[in-house]
Amino acid sequence: MVTKTEETELNQLENQVENGGGGVWEYLCLVRKLKVRRSELVLKHGLSILNDPGKRSALGPDEWTLYEQVAIAAMDCQSLAVAQNCIKVLQKKFPESKRVGKLEALLLEAKGMWEEAEKAYSILLEDNPLDQVIHKRKVAMAKAQGKPSLAIEHLNKYLEVFMADHDAWRELAEIYVSLQMYKQAAFCYEELILSQPTLPLYHLAYAEVLYTIGGHENLIAARKYYASTIDLTGGKSTRALFGICLCGSAIAQLSKGRNKEDKDMAAPELQSLAATALEKEYKQKAPAKLNLLSSALRSLKLS
Amino acid sequence: MAEDLVLDTAIRDWVLIPLSVVMVLIGILRYFVSKLMRSSPSPDAKIVKEGQVIIRARNLKAGANFIPLRSFRTRRLYFSNEENGLLHVPKGQGTNPQAQMFSDPNMAMDMMKKNLSMIIPQALTFAWVNFFFSGFVAAKIPFPLTQRFRSMLQNGIDLSTVDVSYVSSRSWYFLNLFGLRGLFSLILGDENAIDDTQRMMQMGGFGFDASKSLGAEKDGLDIIQHDWALPRFEQRAESVLRKLVK
Repeated sequence: MVTKTEETELNQLENQVENGGGGVWEYLCLVRKLKVRRSELVLKHGLSILNDPGKRSALGPDEWTLYEQVAIAAMDCQSLAVAQNCIKVLQKKFPESKRVGKLEALLLEAKGMWEEAEKAYSILLEDNPLDQVIHKRKVAMAKAQGKPSLAIEHLNKYLEVFMADHDAWRELAEIYVSLQMYKQAAFCYEELILSQPTLPLYHLAYAEVLYTIGGHENLIAARKYYASTIDLTGGKSTRALFGICLCGSAIAQLSKGRNKEDKDMAAPELQSLAATALEKEYKQKAPAKLNLLSSALRSLKLS
Repeated sequence: MAEDLVLDTAIRDWVLIPLSVVMVLIGILRYFVSKLMRSSPSPDAKIVKEGQVIIRARNLKAGANFIPLRSFRTRRLYFSNEENGLLHVPKGQGTNPQAQMFSDPNMAMDMMKKNLSMIIPQALTFAWVNFFFSGFVAAKIPFPLTQRFRSMLQNGIDLSTVDVSYVSSRSWYFLNLFGLRGLFSLILGDENAIDDTQRMMQMGGFGFDASKSLGAEKDGLDIIQHDWALPRFEQRAESVLRKLVK
């Protein structure tokens, strides 16, 4: 994850570069280091360096890394001709290179030639069966072709070996949610919470999945995770506040038939507090919708 | 006997400085040669998987209180199940790291290369120092020493009455051997500043011993008592909101 100082530095450099100041090379290096996705800017400014032979030779051996970076950015922006040129240059300089081979396969993928790309990736995998990037590209291809079950299969195989890769777990969780396989998605989110317990994003996602699965126990757990999200974000997460209100009313509905099992009323005022906090936030940020909110909350409490 | 010997400044010019310069150059040369000779590590799938399993088990231990009890139990079972749990290493199979080391030709070659690349320059330099720079007093150590150090530090000097603070160039060689790490970190960049002391320590250590760490993780997992932290969060959220709403 990008830290706050890095983020401010990135934004600063971005502004500087966009407004014609220098520092293009530092910006590109920072983007590469942080692995953020700023393809348009990278393409524009990277090309300006590469097309100027004076600046290009000033880079020395870093020139080839820049070619690689610009090639990937070009593919992201669908400027396939630019990408092809960069890759040709790299091929001339480094024939038989695995890294360039990866770029070529990536270009085939960008052009939509799925089978050729598949073949290219399999050849690369034979040489190096433990290459994480190539495995992830295969998953991305399956996803892009609209075959989420294939993507899930690939991801599961990948995770059998690389089970500590939390980005992969996150991707798997999102695919499961898109396929409405909520129990599996819940498992993935649990993995994510285990690896980074202080990140409110995962608590929130887990709570939402639990709420969607439904059922008394899950609703109670969901309420708890919404609460932890609120705690971790200092009360600023609107979604979590809404989640608490909805959970509360859903639990009340479900337990209408049963006796009041008050074992879980550890925080009885949570719902009303969340409602008040919501109203306060709406008053500040979207006063026009305050009436809508109040009536919705009222109907929740009543039901 | 307490009088100070006056040492020729020519000693400084022709012994101390050249010796240091030569050692620095040899260190740099060794770094580049090791870079050339280093065979690209071909990671074994099994070893990678075991490493990742350990990371995941550690995460489970650390975050156990954040997930519901049932999920924790299923995961723990998955890891420490007697038959096919990930962390379970059957008694007979525990890989003996030494046997593995000698049977795996790559690792044996690597160890040999590392050892050789360290021993040969050291031996050569030592022999060179002895040949050229022995038989005279090279420097004076600023603090007094006991007589025990005489044999170590005053090797070429056969006078037993000379104060032990006056040492031969061999001790200057040893001083450089252990002390040039700071200089290397400046020249070669911080990560490459391994000098001989660290390499000697590395020689003693063996390869990554997976079975022991797996067993340790399994024991750690078995010990844990699950205490679901989430109910506490509800109360904390309440107080947070209360403060917010005021």
